[in-house]
Amino acid sequence: MSEALKGRLEAIFRDIETDGGREGRLTVRAPAASVLPVLRQLRSERYDYLQLVSCVDWIDDGELEIVHVVSRYLDGEGGLGDGPVRVVLKTRVPRTGAVLPTAIEVYPIAEPYEREVHELFGVRFEGHPRLTPLFLERDYEIPPFRKDFDTRQYVEDVFGSVPRVGEDSQDS
Amino acid sequence: MRELELYFGPQHLGMVGNFSITLKVEGDRIVKADANPGYLHRGFEKLMELRSWIKNFPMVCRMNVVEPDSMEMIYSMGVEKLAGIEVPERAEFIRSIYLELARVGSHLFGLWAYANMLGFDTVAQWAMYHRDLVLDLFEELTGGRVYHIYIWPGGVRRDFPEGFEDRIVSTLHSIGGCVPDYDNTFFNNPLFRERAKGIGTVTREDAVAMGGTGQVLRATGMEYDIRKVDPYAAYDRVPWDVHTRTDGDAYSRIWVVRDEMIESVHMIFKLLDAMPKGAVYNRIPNPFKWRVPEGDAYVRCESSRGELGLYIVSDGGDKPYRAHFRTPSYPHGLTVLEKALVGESISDVGNIMISLYVVAPEIDR
Repeated sequence: MSEALKGRLEAIFRDIETDGGREGRLTVRAPAASVLPVLRQLRSERYDYLQLVSCVDWIDDGELEIVHVVSRYLDGEGGLGDGPVRVVLKTRVPRTGAVLPTAIEVYPIAEPYEREVHELFGVRFEGHPRLTPLFLERDYEIPPFRKDFDTRQYVEDVFGSVPRVGEDSQDS
Repeated sequence: MRELELYFGPQHLGMVGNFSITLKVEGDRIVKADANPGYLHRGFEKLMELRSWIKNFPMVCRMNVVEPDSMEMIYSMGVEKLAGIEVPERAEFIRSIYLELARVGSHLFGLWAYANMLGFDTVAQWAMYHRDLVLDLFEELTGGRVYHIYIWPGGVRRDFPEGFEDRIVSTLHSIGGCVPDYDNTFFNNPLFRERAKGIGTVTREDAVAMGGTGQVLRATGMEYDIRKVDPYAAYDRVPWDVHTRTDGDAYSRIWVVRDEMIESVHMIFKLLDAMPKGAVYNRIPNPFKWRVPEGDAYVRCESSRGELGLYIVSDGGDKPYRAHFRTPSYPHGLTVLEKALVGESISDVGNIMISLYVVAPEIDR
């Protein structure tokens, strides 16, 4: 099913690796520079649905993997006969100074997802209009969803001791 | 007129859930809305990386208080896909029936919130009572009223108890018998029409661009339902219809919810009739020593609010390496809501938010 799309993408982009066809899923590995062109190409082929932007911290490789999951809402008229295909676009960037261009101009829904990945993994999305905190209220030295952020230690440090309250607390 | 900034929520009479919106208003009109989530961020996805595959079940269901069952389902689907586990046919039917019951319960809860917001307190109390009847069924089946932890990899935890099918039918009949009352008091009520018609309109183009799913899309006439387009469990074993409306406003969305609830009840009856006999779970490896094969998967199902997805990664270890839930309220409560509020009145913020079916814990996770 996804063979046709695979062929088209490989013809246009020389620097990507594809792997797939399994159960209508196509995995595309692209360098950071090709992410936006690949997403644009998919969008022009009526892949109108960005389902998710996620991030995985492969700490042993020293890399962060940003994952875009793209598919079509309905595979009806106007399709290119691919059948239902889900494209999983993976991009690896170094853990230090991780940066990627934003996909908002192609898929407006990328906005909150990129904000989240920026906040929790420390990936900067160039051209994003508001990379402000989404969920968190404190500042963290290490973005909290990275593997080297020790949740248990953090909880111990921040919430481990109960401040004394009541009458005798004034004496101490 | 002077532009003012107004903090709407988290402590506000018109706000349901732990969520806030920063509004820029001119008089009564909203010029700009900034959604501000995070009040319920518990970092579940990070915590899941510290617990074994099976121990995550009590955790995932807590991401959504209103409908925890689809969370169990999606996590089971993800683990099954990674580990290549098959589910027996009877378990597929039980899962579908269970998820449809959860959908009815969740919609009734949504109706409670919505009717309350518009001041239909009587209807709200009915809906809450009827949801409680559904919870009674869950209590009998699983031992828990809200969090059930019933679905797990390879099937479901136990078979239906003796006579349970009959009790499902009689409960649903007693709820269904009140549909004319609901219609007369609420759905066909001119007051509801006045308050909801033309409010919070989302066009199909906007909904598609902003990742809308569920009622938000179906209220714009798009027949998009994961149960149809990407069937799972036993949804392709019985005939059923996707209900749509065309206006894309709050009124259409709530009508879609009503029609869907009735369709769910009919679907449960059909599933009960067609349900085969047999085992309800396949044996899985010892859960305490279970290592799920390396790989990644994206799975999705239709929760009562839209598409619920899960991107799950295993490095071959005894815990998930990464799990990321794509919850339906995430686009609805952030991008769609921010767009739908512009140009509306302050008094309709809660109205629009509930009609989009935003559940805050699902956004924050």
